[in-house]
Amino acid sequence: MDQKQLVEQIVIPILQVLIAVAVVPLIILYLQLVERKVLGFMQVRLAPRRVGWHGLLQPVADAVKLLTKEDTIPAKADRFLFTLAPIVAVATALSALAVIPVAGTPFSLFGYEVKPWISDLNIGVVYLLAISSLGIYGILLGGWSSNSKYSMLGALRSTAQMISYEVPLGFALIGVMMLAGSASTVRIVEAQKSSGWWYILPQIIGFFCYFISAVAETNRVPFDLPEAESELVAGFHTEYSGMKFALFFLAEYTNMIVVSSIVTIAFFGGWLRPFPNVEALAWLENGWVPLMSLVLGAFAGWLAGNHLGGGLNPLMVGALLGALLGFGIAVADLGGLATMSVPLLSGAFWFTLKVSFFLFVYIWFRGTYPRYRYDQLMQLGWKWLIPLSVGNVIVTGLVMLLLGRT
Amino acid sequence: MSVVGRPARRDSSPIMDALRSILLLELWVGLWVTLKNQFRPHITVEYPKETVELSPRFRGTPRLRFHPENGEELCIACHLCEVVCPDDCIHIVSEKKPDGKGKRLVSFEINYERCCFCGLCVDPCPTKPLTAIYMSHDYEMADYKREGFVAPLKTLLDGIEPKEYKE
Repeated sequence: MDQKQLVEQIVIPILQVLIAVAVVPLIILYLQLVERKVLGFMQVRLAPRRVGWHGLLQPVADAVKLLTKEDTIPAKADRFLFTLAPIVAVATALSALAVIPVAGTPFSLFGYEVKPWISDLNIGVVYLLAISSLGIYGILLGGWSSNSKYSMLGALRSTAQMISYEVPLGFALIGVMMLAGSASTVRIVEAQKSSGWWYILPQIIGFFCYFISAVAETNRVPFDLPEAESELVAGFHTEYSGMKFALFFLAEYTNMIVVSSIVTIAFFGGWLRPFPNVEALAWLENGWVPLMSLVLGAFAGWLAGNHLGGGLNPLMVGALLGALLGFGIAVADLGGLATMSVPLLSGAFWFTLKVSFFLFVYIWFRGTYPRYRYDQLMQLGWKWLIPLSVGNVIVTGLVMLLLGRT
Repeated sequence: MSVVGRPARRDSSPIMDALRSILLLELWVGLWVTLKNQFRPHITVEYPKETVELSPRFRGTPRLRFHPENGEELCIACHLCEVVCPDDCIHIVSEKKPDGKGKRLVSFEINYERCCFCGLCVDPCPTKPLTAIYMSHDYEMADYKREGFVAPLKTLLDGIEPKEYKE
């Protein structure tokens, strides 16, 4: 193995892993702030605004608090498993990031080829499903080893929920794998480009099954029974504090990001722009600088707007300012930085935009829906989602057979 | 006679009902409501920095006041508020005036720990032109010691001193 191969196959992936492990927690800290902001606005109140400008330093304060808090272990807890549980939860959640492609085109750095994904497994989707089923061990062990009734109940609920929802989760993705003819995450997106439409169109039922099961799989509202705070104090992490609690927290939010990424990759064309084969819409791909400034401007306007009196106007003003700035940058073409057609950056922009939207949907659900009752949860999983997703696989197969595409 | 409960559906045919539940209509309606609410102006305030406007009838701590024109004590030490108080939180000590006519206050204490802010003490107060005891608009009464909640005459007249809170 010569040096080039060595660097491309070992050194660069290791660096990518380090970057992912360092960057994702930072993203999550701010995701938490956005979550609190969105929830606050949905409840017509002010969200955190004390620490920093519009609360922008709140995540830092939270992180310092969590890191310096006393780390208690209950006297009757199983110390080894109690410590192991958050590590399992976080390790499985972070390792799922390995097969997520952020953009489509490899680029070269110092003469070496760097791919915008850590690994392109040919069984990528299966790997993701396997890893997410392992993640449940973190919750189960944490709940069991705490030696507390509430933790135990939370862990039991979580186990039942995972067993019920793992099945439709897998079946919903089988339809996509059949259409793409591959289980590799990169291939699935490339297949969507060659077929000319996102798989949300042929697989809309699969998408609904997948997204609902995924919300249940990540233990988020309205399926947050394992940590139902009005019933079980805090569910499986009742006894956890300090850094160990922070790790569970990190695992939950990493899972949210992973699930949003899979939805984006499998159903919404990953890094592709909308209608990837329509030439008339090529500006969606090339004009990523103005588009990104438009989105960021609208976001900033929306963040600040609630305090200025609310309404759609601050959002519009922000979007307009952002768009003008973006067009300015694009026209001026500052130092080649904003060169209009960088497929890598425009791909990353579209991918991030779609993932952000699904993260917003998570928070939106949390602001809207009350928690399911336990039997309702089981009913939804077994009586609706599993038959629907199995039916989806059968219908997809039949249609593919009739159209003669195998 | 009006019937309280769910408003009658305008169209409750079985087909519409089935469509409703298949298309998850109610879930979409819920999402739309929360989406809209994001763009409403906030109705909460950042409390210590800004405060909400109180209603004129807001009942804060009961306090005493002077005559608005000549600045004399209004209270005639009739003990009516002490008698009517359901919590027994008012404690009055009075003495005969030196000129032999009527009584005057020696001390007047209200225990804010027991007070339930009902305002019943204000109703029987016989003084003119204003009642001597009244429900003020003060509500910032936190303290570090229980003794701080027994308000002497001076506090009742001047209001609770703003406190320096420990960091």
